[in-house]
Amino acid sequence: MSVITATTKQNAGPWMTLRRRRQFAGFLFTLPALALVIGFIGIPIGQAIYYSFTSWNGLTSQWIGPSTWSQAFHNSNLWTALQNNALLLLSVPFALGLPLCIAVLLHQRVAGWKVFRSIYFMPTAISWVVLGLVAERFFAYQGTLNSIIHFFGFSHTNTNMLGYESTALSALGITFVFTMIGTNTMLFLTGLATLDPTLEEAARIDGAGRWRIFRSITLPHLSRFIQLAFVMTVIALFSALFSLIFVMTGGGPGYATTTMEFLIYQTGFNQGDFGTAALYGIILFVLTAIVGIVQLRLIGSDE
Amino acid sequence: MTTLATPPQESEREEAPPAPPSQARRHVGRWILFGMMLCVAVIMLYPFWVMIITSLKSETQFLSGGGFSWLSWKTLTDNIPIFQEVLSSTIVCSASIFVILCVGLPAGFAFSKLRFRASTTIFLGLVSAMMVPLQAILMPEFVNVTKLGLTGGYFGAILVYAALGTPFSTFLFTTYFRGVPDELIEAGIVDGLGYVGVLGRLVVPIAVPAIATVTVLQFIQIWDDLLVGLLFIQNTSERPITVGLAVLAAGRTTSIPALMAGSLVSALPAMLVYLGFQRYLVKGLTMGIDR
Repeated sequence: MSVITATTKQNAGPWMTLRRRRQFAGFLFTLPALALVIGFIGIPIGQAIYYSFTSWNGLTSQWIGPSTWSQAFHNSNLWTALQNNALLLLSVPFALGLPLCIAVLLHQRVAGWKVFRSIYFMPTAISWVVLGLVAERFFAYQGTLNSIIHFFGFSHTNTNMLGYESTALSALGITFVFTMIGTNTMLFLTGLATLDPTLEEAARIDGAGRWRIFRSITLPHLSRFIQLAFVMTVIALFSALFSLIFVMTGGGPGYATTTMEFLIYQTGFNQGDFGTAALYGIILFVLTAIVGIVQLRLIGSDE
Repeated sequence: MTTLATPPQESEREEAPPAPPSQARRHVGRWILFGMMLCVAVIMLYPFWVMIITSLKSETQFLSGGGFSWLSWKTLTDNIPIFQEVLSSTIVCSASIFVILCVGLPAGFAFSKLRFRASTTIFLGLVSAMMVPLQAILMPEFVNVTKLGLTGGYFGAILVYAALGTPFSTFLFTTYFRGVPDELIEAGIVDGLGYVGVLGRLVVPIAVPAIATVTVLQFIQIWDDLLVGLLFIQNTSERPITVGLAVLAAGRTTSIPALMAGSLVSALPAMLVYLGFQRYLVKGLTMGIDR
């Protein structure tokens, strides 16, 4: 901080009006944050665009040109990863719907609901690395899922969802839904808490049924929270699955659970093809930017 | 957020409201609700149950299915360098959060109270960096940090975490300071505190709730993260706990009970922080829409 003090005083001579001094101080206060973000996020975006046109192994790069892009789009791995991402989007309705039900359940304020709330949010604190480890135990051949199936009498049925290309992605999706429950429930519950209870009461007195109240009062009230939860869930889906995949499947079997973010890691660090990995990064960036614009508009509409 | 849908008006009867359901029916309803909540609780507690039960078995007991012992806990340090890894996580976490606060708080203060030319544009640019996933810029980031020679110790990871956490934290501080009256700042300036003095003596004390929110959010985020620790801390002897666990798990040679014991150790600090500061977390998550 002392550095800032010195510069402020030096530059803020008598020729500076109070207004200008204030603006200058404001500018200086934002400088460290700006430097950090430009240096570690802004510049790398530019570099990623540049290197996506090169053949790059991390040490030396050679300019190739736009043909790297046409080549990349002919790579079947890219399409597999994009397809996996698209398929995982199918889990989003569950990642929103289940927490909505849970939040409504909690909002009934049955005896002990505060304890239940704490329990429901607890997994949110745990690393997805750890949740991935637990999920692996759940889906394993000798895991909980098979125990449950056996308990219901299907003693000869054995699943091994993570072991097969056809089912591994579903297992990942189910795990993802579980990991998102805490955060989304928290969001919805906060939304419900801001709902005026007299409104529901009035509707009830007017003879509206529970479902009617939920549809006509609760849901419209929650719409902004649902939008926010949607955006956060989709972004997590694109950029936070790495830990789960790394621990549960390593992207396999084959490429069955390789999503865009994992493909970037694999291409760069397992195959040493930094150029193509940078290119994939740009694709991921564009995908999240589309979702991000939606969120910025959500935030922006507040001002 | 006050544009609520008006309640259905079509049934504007002046009659008495429909008779309330009988006491017995209401009771049954409550019990059903309670039962459902219990079911959800069982599902949410499942990870903890798996970790605890599995860690209380030796490897042979785990494979054969029966019996319990403390063996996995007693030999935990042989399997996983747990003390060193927890220490690494603690160092990286606290240093990153410190940088984020030092950088984000003055910026948030400036964006809300010391507006300058183009400050809104710069603010929007900074905040939109929030949407850039690390994976998108992973390759250049990795090469840059390596070339700067920062992957040897903790510095690379700390700076990357700080850069990733700064946009949201700045946004949060800016929103928070908008609620602080301008007069307070003016008074400080008139009293001759200077801008740095105002920041240190007036703004920081006011901002304690926002600081708590940022700290809690970033603590959980960084403590639980894998990717940055995996790539930007090259020495295996400086690995954070999540990286240690993930690498062991991906190798598939470590005994699972030991892995679960380690997982439990790694989960504990974040959970304590979480349970203790739940309300700050909720505040941070809904910042910007919850007014």
